This record gives sequence, structure tokens and C-alpha cells, in this order.
Amino acid sequence: MNINPVLLKELKVRMRGWKAAGIIALYLLVLTVVAVFIIYTTFMDPYSSNIDPQVSIGAYTALAVFQFMLIMFIVPALTAGAISGEREKQTLDLVLCTRLKPISIITGKLFASTSQTLLLIIASFPLFSMVFLFGGISIKEVMQLFGFYIVTAVTIGCIGIFFSAHLKRTTASTVFTYGTLAFLAFGTIFIGVFYIRIFYNWDYNKFLPILYSNPLTGFGSLLAEQFGYYGGINAFLGLSAGSGQNPNAANAISPWLGNIIFDIVLSAVLLILSAARINPVRKSIFSYIRFRGRKKKKASDSI
Amino acid sequence: MLSIRNLNKRYGRFQAVSDLNLDVPEGEIFGFVGPNGAGKTTTMKIICGLLRATSGEITLDGVDIIQNSRRMKEKIGYMPDFFGVYDDLKVSEYLEFYASIYNIKGQERKRITDDLLELVDLGSKREAYVDSLSRGMKQRLCLARSLVHNPRLLVLDEPASGMDPRARFEMKEILKNLKGMGKTIIISSHILPELAELCTSIGIIDQGRMVISGSNEEIMQQVYNKKVVRLKVRDRLDDAVLILKEYPFVDKLVIGENTIQAGFGGGDGEMSRVLSNLINRGIPVVSFAQMDGNLEDVFMKVTKGDDEQ
Repeated sequence: MNINPVLLKELKVRMRGWKAAGIIALYLLVLTVVAVFIIYTTFMDPYSSNIDPQVSIGAYTALAVFQFMLIMFIVPALTAGAISGEREKQTLDLVLCTRLKPISIITGKLFASTSQTLLLIIASFPLFSMVFLFGGISIKEVMQLFGFYIVTAVTIGCIGIFFSAHLKRTTASTVFTYGTLAFLAFGTIFIGVFYIRIFYNWDYNKFLPILYSNPLTGFGSLLAEQFGYYGGINAFLGLSAGSGQNPNAANAISPWLGNIIFDIVLSAVLLILSAARINPVRKSIFSYIRFRGRKKKKASDSI
Repeated sequence: MLSIRNLNKRYGRFQAVSDLNLDVPEGEIFGFVGPNGAGKTTTMKIICGLLRATSGEITLDGVDIIQNSRRMKEKIGYMPDFFGVYDDLKVSEYLEFYASIYNIKGQERKRITDDLLELVDLGSKREAYVDSLSRGMKQRLCLARSLVHNPRLLVLDEPASGMDPRARFEMKEILKNLKGMGKTIIISSHILPELAELCTSIGIIDQGRMVISGSNEEIMQQVYNKKVVRLKVRDRLDDAVLILKEYPFVDKLVIGENTIQAGFGGGDGEMSRVLSNLINRGIPVVSFAQMDGNLEDVFMKVTKGDDEQ
């Protein structure tokens, strides 16, 4: 099997020495402290004397949110310099003059940059299984959450790589990556609220399509759906009707699932655009249009 | 081997390369000379698939490089003038990374790495981090990197730039080795005498146009319309000049301190006649020989045209 050489080289460098193992150990230690603290405080609750699934839900939510924040904050920093950093170090040309396809360079850099975060996520899986002791959360739900993490991490990585490929400086790329993420997380909510305020006759039983692009909405709705909770964010999203699930919304696609589909499409588009950007002999769309124009003119002249 | 026809590269309004034509036969070492910003690096980058030409055709063994960029990259090794290295890799790992890109695996990869490190005299630095190498060593490592897939054509952009004399000498020795191995090489440099010694042919580019190209001798002939001889005397320089001026086939005298450089239209017979005459008339001749080619003079002569107009 041929492993992407760029990925292999990056992994070799990143995993060398004690640093990578040290980061994993420290991260798991922090997560353990968070989980144990929540479980301990729930057990110390004088009004609760028996094992309650609420314990696992509390711990699960805390770990899930902590990990999600990690992805949102760490991945942009790791990916926004992936290509621009190579450009700044003057190593990009040396790879581009080889037989490696631009898309291989881009995917190699993407997975190398997100690998550390993905490794932290996967390493934390046994810690999440601690909540199974108290019931209330199934393996399927934990798998759903991890699937959501991986897709979100890769998408944020693709955004970082996109700006890194298009902008010369890593600083500018980092700013644009965090800016885009802030827009997706908060900007889309503002737009949604404006939209509802403008169109007073908005049907609250429908889900605002723009929010499918929002990672916070997706994450919130996933947790809420897993807990069978239809208030709060789900009420805002139009998924609940009274205390139960909105029958219209039940037939619609879940926000977290919609968010995953949006992420996959966005990632694919950004990867293709990034690969096209670093391809030194790419044809620009303008030269293609000019070429088509000349061809048409020739054809009409010959008539 | 390599053929360039009507190559043009334009950046907006700026014409970097203009109707450039060039032929480099197999086994040739072609020296690419030109002032800064003349279009050398642009041309080299287009050959290596790192820039898109505005128009023109480049073929390697009859195959269009521009249309078959990826396939052709397997046949070309490129060393840029400015480059960075992955400083967190060891020297052997650095070469192995580039070998892996060309799908070279296992023992073969190790053998190639060892051979190349031997070639560029970095065998003792195998386990050193690239970061710890001197500039000259990094240049040599980059040359080894460009050879990792055994390319047929090597494109070296100012390979000796920024090196101290010792490192430059070592680089020259490696290039001589490569010449012995029968590699076809295009090399650009601003150290002109070095190119004259190393290259089988030379092209001078100025303002994006190939001003002149051919073997050293052909270039000298084209520029001076004749061969160039250099005479060194112990004294009586003025008398020597007067004697030389007696011959109609001797012209374009450049007089230095105890030296005379002159265009010489005659053959070997005329050369020996002039030398005999000088000695018979008591001129203390130290040396009298046809010049291999003072490329620097040629370069100054052919690239100053526009300033004088």
C-alpha cells in the first residue's frame, strides 16, 4: 500500500521524541480530571443516593463540549500554516517540481495537520467509555459523536488549508480561518435571526437552511437528540413542538446530519480549489473563457 | 534532447521571456548566462513545470513538457537558486522523503540515498539534522535531492551562489563528476569563468531574449568575428602593439598591463608568423596563445547593447 509521502514525512517528524506522547498524556489527564470532578460532585449530591444516568449524561456532555472546543480552537492554528508555511520556508517548489500531484500534497498536509487532533480525539475514546458504567449513553451515541468530531475537524482543516494555499502569509491565513469559523458559528445565527425578524410569517416548524452550515448548531442538536431533549436549542431550531418532537421536523433531516453533509461537500470543494491554487501550470478560468471566445469567433468568421 | 521553440512568458505588461529558442543535445552541459532579471530563472521554472508559459513549446525527447508536465517531471531534476530545507529531518530522511515521492522503496531507497550522499560528499553527515548543515552542505544536499530519481535532464539555477571559494570548488568537482556520468545539464551562474570551464555550450540571455548561443568557440567567433589571442610581454608593450597593427587580420586590440588581447582573423600559420616576427624584433614575449574564451568580456559586450543605443 502506498501511503502519501507528505503525510508519512510529517507524521515521522511530529511523532518523534517524547513531545507527542507527552501532549496525549497531558490531554487525557485533563479530560480525566474533568470527568472525575463531575462524577464526584454528582455522587456527593446529598439528595441522590443511587446510581443515576444523569451522572453519565453530565460527564458525557462536559467531555463532549470540552473536546469540541478543542477542535474549534486547535485545528485552525495547526492547518492555517500548512501550505503558506512551506511557501515561507521556500520548500513548496521542491515538492511541486516532483511527480506528486497537487491534490496529494494538499491531502497529505491536511491529514498531517489534523492527525494530532484526531489522535487526541481517538485516544480519548476509552475515557468516554467510562460513562457506560452509569448507563444512559450507548456506544452508538458515542460513535455518532466521534464521527461528528472527525468530520468537523477535517472540515475546519480544509478551511485552514484553503486559506493557507490562497494567501502568502500564515498570519493572514490564520486570521481568515478563524474569521470564517466565527462566521459559521455565530454569523449564520445572526443572519438567521435577521431573516426571521424580516419575514414575520416565518414558519417556526421549519429549520433555517443556513444553520445547516453552523457547527455549533449541529453539535448542539446532536447532543440534544441523543438525550431526547426537545427544548432549548431544538425549540429554537424548530425541532420541538411543546414537550415532544415536532412531527414536521421528525420528517426533516436532523441539523447535525445536515451539518455533516454540508461539511463533506464544503471540504471536497475547498480541497479541489486548494489543489488548483498550488498547481503551478493550472489554466486560469479567464484564459479558458478567452480561448472559448476565440474559438467561437473563428467559427463565426469561417461561416 | 531538450528543445525550446518561441517561448514567451508575460507577467501583466512585463515580458519576462521573449521568443526564446534553444536546443540542448543529450550529454551537453549548457551554461545559461544573463544579468539579474534577464529571464533565466523564469525559463528554468517553465522547463521544470513550476510556471506556465504564455506561449511556446518545450519538448524533451520529442514529448511536450507543458502538456505532459507530470510525466516529464520524472525525467527532470531541479535545483532552485533559493530554497529551504525541512530542518526537522535528518539528512538521510530528507533524501528518503524525496525518493518515496518517486515510489522508490526499501533497500533500493537506502542504496540510492547512500550513493548520492557519497557523490556529494555528505556520507559522514547521514544522521545529522539538515538544520545543522552549512550553506554549502545544504546546496550539495539539494543537488543530491534533485538526482534522487536519476533524471535525464538536470536544471541547476545558480547552484554555487552564496558559497565560499572552497564550497564552490567542491560543487564544481561534483558537477564535473555528473558531466562524466553523461548527464544533460542546464546550469545558470553569474560566475562566468567557471561556466566557461565546465560547459560544452553557452547561451547568453538579456531582457528575456537569447542574445547568443553556441559552444564557447562559436560564441567568441560570433562576437569578435574571429578568434581571440592573448599576448603577454615582459616590457616594450608599445612596440608589440605597433608590430601587431602591421597585420591586417589583427584588430580590436585591448591593451592591459603587459598584456594585449586581440581579434585574430588568420589561421595557425599566421599565428606562428606573428609570433616569430615579435621575437625576431626583440619583443620579450612571455606567452602568446589563443584564448579559450573570456566569457565575461563577451557577456559585457553582448548585454550592454541597449544601454548604448
